Amino acid sequence: MSVLRQTSTAGDRVARAGFIALTAFSVLLLVAPSLIVIAISFEPRAYIAFPPSGFSWRWYAAVFQNQQLIDSVWVSLRISVIVMLICLAFGVPAAFASVRGRFVGKAGLNAFLLSPQMMPGMVIGIASLFFGAYIAFRASDLMLVLSLSVFCLPFVVRIVMARLSGLDPLLDEASANLGAGKLTTFRRVTLPQIAPAAFAAAAFTFIEAFDNVTVSLFTSDVRARPLPVELYYLVQFDSSPIIAAISALEIGLSFLVMLVIAKAVGLDRLAR
Amino acid sequence: MVDATLMAPRRRRFSLASFLDGGGFWPAVPAVLYLAVFMVAPIVTLLAFGFVTIDRGTVGEGGFTLAHMAGVLSDPLVWRLMWRSFWIAVVSTTLTLVFAYPVAYAYGHLKGIARTLLLVAIISPLLTSALVRTYAWIVVLGGRRGLLNQTLLSLGIVDQPLQLLNTSTAVVIGMTQIHLPFMILPLLAVLSERDRRFEEASLNLGASEVSTFFRVVVPMSMPAIVAGFALVFAVSYTNFIIPQLLGGGNYSTLAVQVYEQTIVVLDWSRGAALATLLLSTCFLFVFAIVALGNCFTRWNEVRR
Repeated sequence: MSVLRQTSTAGDRVARAGFIALTAFSVLLLVAPSLIVIAISFEPRAYIAFPPSGFSWRWYAAVFQNQQLIDSVWVSLRISVIVMLICLAFGVPAAFASVRGRFVGKAGLNAFLLSPQMMPGMVIGIASLFFGAYIAFRASDLMLVLSLSVFCLPFVVRIVMARLSGLDPLLDEASANLGAGKLTTFRRVTLPQIAPAAFAAAAFTFIEAFDNVTVSLFTSDVRARPLPVELYYLVQFDSSPIIAAISALEIGLSFLVMLVIAKAVGLDRLAR
Repeated sequence: MVDATLMAPRRRRFSLASFLDGGGFWPAVPAVLYLAVFMVAPIVTLLAFGFVTIDRGTVGEGGFTLAHMAGVLSDPLVWRLMWRSFWIAVVSTTLTLVFAYPVAYAYGHLKGIARTLLLVAIISPLLTSALVRTYAWIVVLGGRRGLLNQTLLSLGIVDQPLQLLNTSTAVVIGMTQIHLPFMILPLLAVLSERDRRFEEASLNLGASEVSTFFRVVVPMSMPAIVAGFALVFAVSYTNFIIPQLLGGGNYSTLAVQVYEQTIVVLDWSRGAALATLLLSTCFLFVFAIVALGNCFTRWNEVRR
């Protein structure tokens, strides 16, 4: 608040100190839990303690020796890559129509494309499960992919739409004036401009699908659980630091995704 | 500029070219069909299942019935749990707003590396599994060896370990922290692009910083507050993971009931009726929040 201030009252100084303290506390609240989880993942003993009583990679080794966990990681990786590809394939063209389209009911289309966001994950999960049962189709990898792609589609649509509406249409016209055909203009002018946004959207979709538990609990195959579902049961019945080790690995993965997004479009664009 | 528009090809044919032009509806057709089959049809099924009897995943005999819906609505437990869901969501959303606002405000006043680091602190939880972050709270709040109890005991603030985990307090704390980024982001977008001249004018006219904050900055960000509040309320009201993990085995909310009826008890008709109730009350509350918020916004505009 460094503006044209002549005097600042005592009340203002107290309020400002309180405000800064509250801000600092909130930031601590944002980051501390993740840091604590990373710290306790190095605990050498068999129970949780903070600060950890020593340093060991014991629980990371335990993660990689746990076949059930490793299997679930593979399930999750496979599922989330497919979900990501589906969302890109359907979401990017849809974003095009949403931004550049000239037709009646565009607002309605936008609302419909973003509507899965209004649904809690649990509702999408249960609805998919019930619909599957109705047409005699059980919870499986395919059902998981379908339900998660519905859940994730709005992320791609929204991120790509934001980029598209920020593009300068004159660039396309310039390209046309210079003699490029529609296809060339699309391939060499429009596409390179939205590629970073599509890339960031893909990364975001991947991590959302990889981490999702609210949809996955209902639609995943009981014999091949994805990682979040496996973790959900583990958290309830296991108290060893192995969960902290998996969590720390997941936090590492999310940082990797964040770097990818930051590199592609910049973090502040995701914040908008 | 005029030449550019004149020379730009204006022909529209149903071809690859017209697709690439992006002027038509049909690039959205695959996505619309996809959502119609894999979202709309399932949601319709879910709503319909509350009004028929489901026997082992198939529609049983008897056809249309209001029995399940009536059963749910006449159950005092359901009303009690809905009340609890509502209050937990209201309290945690309000706390989220209190903690989120200063962070979003501070973001606009930071520069360079501090700004980037703050953004990382806001975005990284968003990309981290909610399950992982709930687990973190089990560690912090849990039992005698829980981090918070250890700290309180060693500082001599309490002499008995507090029962933190498996209480409503734990659920509220967990929800508040886990949903912080959802509240910060809409606020941050508005606060970092606000017109600072209004504040300068207010200060120059002799208003204190405190009254400038509450009478200029906060009213100007009212639309973002309403949007954030509605969003965080909705995700808190329908969250069943946090109450289950931080509330303990016997703790229940309306959303937890939906999960249990569907996955544990396998009473799908009741599950569907409960889910319908959860979804419709959620929309109703969100609608009320937005209406109330608009009321406040207008009131401020009139007063200004």
